[in-house]
Formats: sequence, C-alpha cells, structure tokens
Amino acid sequence: MNLSIRKVQSGAVLFNVLLFSFSLTLVFTLVANLLPQVEGEAPVEVEIDLSAMTMDGFVSLGESIFSGKGTCTLCHNNMGRAPDILQLNMVATSTERMADERYKGAAASVEDYMRESMLDPSLYVVKGFGQKGSNDTVSPMPTANKAPILLTDVEMDAVIAFMQAKDGNDVTVALPEGLPEKSAEEQAGASAVAAVQGPAETAEEALGKFTCTACHAVAGSESMVGPELNAVGNRLDKDKIRESILNPEAVIAEGFDAGMMPADFAKKMTISELDMVTEYLLNQKGGQ
Amino acid sequence: MNSDILNKNKIRVILSLLFALMLAGMISVSVSNEVYAASEITSIEDRIRSVDTGGLSADQFKVEPKSVGFPPFAAPKLKAKDYSKIMGVSSRSIVWVVAQMHLFFAAFVLAVPLFVLVIEWIGAKSGDERYDDMAHECMKISMTAFSITAIFGGLLAFALFILYPQFMGYMMNVFNTQVLVYALLFFAESFFLYLYYYSWYAYRWGNKKWVHLTLGLMLNVVGTTILLLANAWVTFMMAPTGVDDAGAVTGGIWEIMRGPLWNPINLHRFIANIAFGGAVIGAYAAYKFLSATDLKARAHYDWMGYTANFIAILAFLPLPFAGYWLMAEIYAYSQQMGITAMGGILAWLFIVQAVLIGTILLAGNYYLWSGMSRTKGSERYTWMIKYIAMVLVTCFLIWVTPHTLILSASEMKLLGGSHHHLLGPLGIMPAKNIAVNLMLIFTFLSFQLYRRSDKEITVGWAGFGNALMVSIYVVAIVNVIFAGVYYGYFTNTVYKVGSSVAQVVSTLVVIIAGVVIDTYMFKGAKKLPSEWGKVSNRAQYALFALPVAFTWLMALMGYVRSSVRTNWHVYTVMKDNSPDNYIPAIGFAGNMMTIVTVLFLIFVLFIFWVASLSDTKQPKPDFLTGDK
Amino acid sequence: MNMKNPLINWVLAIVIVVAVFYGLNHGVMSMQGLPLNVDLTPVQ
Repeated sequence: MNLSIRKVQSGAVLFNVLLFSFSLTLVFTLVANLLPQVEGEAPVEVEIDLSAMTMDGFVSLGESIFSGKGTCTLCHNNMGRAPDILQLNMVATSTERMADERYKGAAASVEDYMRESMLDPSLYVVKGFGQKGSNDTVSPMPTANKAPILLTDVEMDAVIAFMQAKDGNDVTVALPEGLPEKSAEEQAGASAVAAVQGPAETAEEALGKFTCTACHAVAGSESMVGPELNAVGNRLDKDKIRESILNPEAVIAEGFDAGMMPADFAKKMTISELDMVTEYLLNQKGGQ
Repeated sequence: MNSDILNKNKIRVILSLLFALMLAGMISVSVSNEVYAASEITSIEDRIRSVDTGGLSADQFKVEPKSVGFPPFAAPKLKAKDYSKIMGVSSRSIVWVVAQMHLFFAAFVLAVPLFVLVIEWIGAKSGDERYDDMAHECMKISMTAFSITAIFGGLLAFALFILYPQFMGYMMNVFNTQVLVYALLFFAESFFLYLYYYSWYAYRWGNKKWVHLTLGLMLNVVGTTILLLANAWVTFMMAPTGVDDAGAVTGGIWEIMRGPLWNPINLHRFIANIAFGGAVIGAYAAYKFLSATDLKARAHYDWMGYTANFIAILAFLPLPFAGYWLMAEIYAYSQQMGITAMGGILAWLFIVQAVLIGTILLAGNYYLWSGMSRTKGSERYTWMIKYIAMVLVTCFLIWVTPHTLILSASEMKLLGGSHHHLLGPLGIMPAKNIAVNLMLIFTFLSFQLYRRSDKEITVGWAGFGNALMVSIYVVAIVNVIFAGVYYGYFTNTVYKVGSSVAQVVSTLVVIIAGVVIDTYMFKGAKKLPSEWGKVSNRAQYALFALPVAFTWLMALMGYVRSSVRTNWHVYTVMKDNSPDNYIPAIGFAGNMMTIVTVLFLIFVLFIFWVASLSDTKQPKPDFLTGDK
Repeated sequence: MNMKNPLINWVLAIVIVVAVFYGLNHGVMSMQGLPLNVDLTPVQ
C-alpha cells in the first residue's frame, strides 16, 4: 500500500480513537456534574458561652448536635437502620426499654438510660437492630464520646435534654455550671471563652462571641433552631436586622417560637459590634 | 539419553533453588517481624501507651508512662497551620492525581503478568504457538509501563512526604520494617521481570519452558505480595487495627496489617486489576486492528482483542461480589462509615457507578454479539440477542434510577416528598440488586452463546445437559427476582440485606455451572470454521469504551474509598485538619477523574507507540545500499 | 441422557435445579443467622 495513504489512514484511526475516548470521558464528566453537588463539611468548632445558657437554649444546642456533630441522624431516621428517635416519644420509649426483661444495664432513670445508651450501646440492643449474626447482643452504634464522634459530657447532656424536651416531657438534665468542659479537640484548638474580653474585632468574631451560630445557619453553621441567616440580606433591611437583634420579640419569624432568642443583646453588645454584625448580615445573600 | 537425565536434573536443581528462594523470602519477612516484636516489651500491660495524650484524661487510656525502649508515638494532632502547600495548589488535589496515576499503572503491570502466564501455559499445553506469541506481545506492551509505575510511585512518595510529613512520619512509624520489605521487593520484581521477558525465546521449548513459566510465576508472586503490602496502608487508614485510641502501636505488624478491610480489598483489587489489564490490552489490539494493512494482521489482532475482552469480562463478572464483601465489612466495622458511603452524602456516586458499569456491560456484550458474525454457527443464537439487549437496557435503567429525586422545594411540595410514588421503590437496594444480578446473568449468557457458536456438540447426554442449563438460567432468574422483591420489600431490613447474598450466590451458580457443564459438553465437539478478522470496525470501539469506562470507574471508586474516611487521615485515630478536610462535591471529583483518565490515555498511547516502535525497522534508504 | 423422551430430561432437570436453589436459599440465609420457614418466609 502507498506509504502516504497508510500514514493518513493511521492518522485517521488515531484521531477517531482519541475523539471517541475523550467524548466518552466527557459523557461521564457530564453525568457527574449534572447531579446534585453536595460537599461534605468537616465539623466547625463553635464557641458556646455556657454561662449565659438557658434551658431552652440548651435543648436547642442538643438538637443541633443531634443533627450535626453527633451524626445521630445518619442512622436514627425512618430508613430502618436504627430506632427513629425523632418520631418516638423517647421518655416513654426509654421507660419501656428499661422494663424489658433483656435489659441488664444499671440505669435508674430515663436520663441515665439515655446516657448509658450513648456510652455503651451494646449493653442493651433494641430487638431487630443488632449487628447481623449477633442475635441482638452487639450494637452497630458507635460510642458517642469516642472517635469519630467525640461528644463531650456537656454535649451529651444537651442531646439528652433535647430527647426529653422534644415530646413535651420534663428535662431532668442539669444545666452545666461555669466554664464548659471541652472535648479534646476543642481543648487543643480553643481560645479562651470570649465573654470577658474587649469588643469583637470582626463580624465573625462577634457572631462567635454572642453564640449566634448555635441557633442560626450562618458562617458555616447549619443549626436550624432559629431562622437561617445565610440569605437574610434578601429578606430584611438594615433596620429590621437591628430590630431583630435588639428586640427579638418584636417580630417572630413564621414557624419559630417566641422567647427563644436572648433579649439582652442591647445591654451586652457594643455599638461597633452591632454595626459590624448588621453589616455582615446585610451582605448574606445566599447562593454560595 | 544421558544428557536428557542430566538436563532433567539440572531443571530439578533450578526449580528447587527458585522455590527455596521464595520460601526464604517469606521466612525472612516473618522472622524479621518476630525480631521487631521481641525487641519490645514482654507483656501486654507493659506495652507502650501514649504519653502525650493531648489533654485527654489518664483514665480513658489507662496510661502507664513507661519508656520501654521503643519510643511511644501517638498520632500527631495537627492544626490547619501545620499543613504546607506547594505554589498555593490544593495538596489533596496533587496527591489525588499522582496517587491515581500510580494506581492505574500499578494495576496494569500487576495484571498483565497474571494473564500472560495463563496464556503462555495454555500455549505450552496445547502446542498452539499463537498463544505463546500473544503472551510475549502482551509482555512487550507492558514493559514500558513498569518504569512509568515506578516514576509515579516515587513522585507519590515525594508528594506525600512534602505535603503530609507528619502523617507520613506516623505511618512510617506504624508500618516500620514492612515498608522496607515493600521497597526491597522491587529488586525481586525487576529481577524476575527482566529474566521472564528477555529469556522468552532462550527458554522456549521442553523443560526450559517450564523454567520460564516458573519465572513468570515468581514474578506474579512478588507482584501480588507488593500489592498486599501496599493495600495494608490504605485499609489501615480506613479501619486501623493494632493501635490504641491515641494511635500508639499496641500490636505486631500482622495485627496492624490484617484489619477487617484488608482481605476484601486484596480480593477486589486482585480481580479488578485483571479486568482492567485485559481491557487495556484489548484497546491495544483494537487500535492495531483498525490500523492493520493486511488480512493476516487483522486476523491476529481480532483474535487478540477477543481474548483480551474475554479476560476483561470474565474477571469483571465476580467483581460485584468482591465489592459487596468489601461494603459488608465496612458496614460491620462502622455502620456510620457504611451509611456515609451508600446512604448518605456519597449515595449519588453509586448512580454514576451504575452508568459506568452499564457502559462496560453493554460494550462487552456488544463486542460479543458483533463477534458472532465470525462464524456461521452463531445463526442459531442470533434471535436471542435482541432480548438480551432489552433485558440489559431495562436493568440498566432500573439501576440508574435514584431513590431521592433532584427537586426544588416547590416541586417537592407538589410531589409530596422527595421520592417518586412509582419509581421511588426502584431506587433502593433490592431493586438494584435484582438489576445487577440479572445484568451479570445475561452477560454470561452472551458469553456462553458466543462460545457455543463455533461448535456442534456431539456428546450423548447433550439433551439433558441443555435442559439442565436452561433450567439453571430460568430458576436462577426467578430466584433473583423473588429474593429481591419479597425480602426486599416485604420483610425487615436484616432479611432484606441478607437476601442479596442469596441473589449473588444464584448468579454464581449460573456462571460456575455454565463453565463446568460446557467444558464437559464440548468434549469431542465438532468445530465450525470461524474467520478471525471478519468483524466490523465498529465493534472495535467497544474495546476502547471498555478501558475508558474501567479507568474512570477506578478513579470513582478511589474517590469513595478516600471520602468515607471523612475528616480523618486515619479514621478515629488521626484527624484531618487540613484546608481540604471536606468531601469534595461529585462534580469536582468528576473533573479530577477526567483529568487522570485523559492523562492515563495519553500515557497508554505512548506505551503502545513504544511497543510498536520496538518492532519497526526502518528500511535502509536506497542511497545507502545501491551504487552511488 | 434420555433421547427417547425429551420430556423426562426437562422434568428431571427442573426438579433437580429447583431443589438445589431451594436448598441454597435456606443455606445462605441461615448461614447469616436469618432462618427461614419451609415456605421461605422469615422466622419471626
């Protein structure tokens, strides 16, 4: 065969092969890019000023841990892998479980039972939820105060408070006193609780100092206790934002309860901090 | 006569020496480990615990701060500022690309000697020289790949040490001597590789051929050992064993290596490598087929392509089972990790995986069907092809159906949730298990039909044999569907999960029974003529689709493996506080995968070109030969 | 096997295969700690 024709032919083959291969690769890339883009977030350290904590705030903290750092909702949902805590009346359920003949634990109260379930899940495994082949004697649940979850005692108390309060039952957990016990990671990376320092230098610092992220979805937090603030700049103007901070009871957002947000920011915040936070929130227009 | 006996004895001596070498190697590895362990303390209670617990209380670890000769080394606790960057580029992205390239090539160079050995053995047994020539050609293609693997390996090591020095320091401390063994094994690998390749025609016949096969075997033994050693690092990062809560070593090297995920990954990677290697060789054959200028070359490369596809699909069929075992072990180790992988943030990824595997199966099947045109005997079976295709496409669509729909808030209100009423149930595992198992069964059917196409069966019990085979298919298919529908939708979670094993076993029964029954049915069968080379050019593109999909799929699975560790370098032991400590979104990951796939394709083309180049002889120009 | 009456081939084949798969289901499920009743329903 003529050499030049052969060259053209082999050139054509190479071209076709490359075109086909790259096109197919692009199809796969397209598929990946058309799907919902969800980025996993590493837990963000949040400073909580526990000396100013109310019981309602503590319960809200527990709720945010339940769906956040505690990663409880990964299994405790309606998919059948673990008891659906959010649907069950946990106080009634705990009482039932403690009365079960299979229960061999040492808990004397609902609060104890809940704490025991977090620290030693295999002590009592609810029927049907044990690891396959263990005949409901080994639980697949990780220990809450060990890695990878690493909840502190205070955080576990908050979760217990949430589980008790969510169905309208009494909360028996005591509020933590004084400075909080921090988990190892927070100890390693924590700065001092900002309550007694000078005014915050930046908006983010102020948000941390006044524990806004404990209840509001803003600056990396996903808490749903209060209205989300990631796009608040679209909803409220400057005056309304200031009013919401200084006089939270004036307007309650739809779907949320009164009496949850601290009402004493007017006394605690400096004017510069208020201005910074307001400015910051005005610029939160969502769409990141 | 005397020289025969002399030769036989020489062979025996050589073979014995080789086996002794292998044995010595294995013994020295385990002995060195024993020595390492013995140099520590005598009892568990005296073992090193971490002294610096970073603020955690002593009760939690029962710390006994005794210094016992081997420095205690808890996993470092790093902060964001402890991580370095090169030129502002994300460190994770750099390591991602380099590591993935290394893994692609490592998979290739481990796989090729495996099936080359088998092909060479078939050639030695059957006396058909075509097999030996093809085995040699495959080795030739892969020679360049070995050095590229090493280059990327070295680059990876440098990248890891520069970008994650504390992590590497910790890992080196944990694995210690084992890493040295890994490095030294490359001497053995190179030794056997060069001997195996360069002695091909020197040790071609008779007893020397058996020596050559032994060299190939040794090459594979060393290669597999290297794979197993490296797998231990990655599975340790996911499910650490032999260390305490703070990361200090408490067990011997075997305890550290033999975590719950080690053997599942070993099996999965071993089989997947073979499938991957077959696919890449198939691409080479397809390329040479399309550029062939004479019928003889066309026939040769057609046959090579068929064999490579055969290897790729055959190795591919058991892969879902190995993958299932891996996921089951992940779930058993940590339900959190399991759910993150399949029910949580990474769930959509498995839809992408469905697309890729669908591509692989459809391409493989299409190639088989196209190949049926090589022989007239296939006309008996061609009517089945459209039904097989229909089943494959339907199953693929079911597999690709997601559970949760991509909806906006208002659409969700209209629908009354995030699941479709009718199609929602198709999005959960039972439906997908049915789909996958059926796809595998029907792919095997294509396989079996192709193998029967060029034969006329002559055994007396053919009637019963065929009845048995058909029954196995029918009952297996019914069983797969029954197990999936009944246990999947009408019983509790534990039975639902357990039923997938029953489905998998049903599929395996079909495959194993098919192979065994056909082996016996083909005895003395009349072979119909088949024309190698008589296949469409179009079919060759299926052989390109295969490695492209395989490569992208490998990268995708690597993304899962890495991501299930979430924000941990070593899960539960060493936290990841780098700027990249989040699971990247799938679009970003997809772009990375495309980059590495394209890079790999380019490198592979280079390898093919070099292989072709070594065969090319430039004709001496006239002005040098003729009279001036 | 039986060339005179292909029906026997088929009946025999189906019976054997169904028995094998039935046993397989029981075996595989009970090996995992998930026993089945005779009609393949889960033991409650």
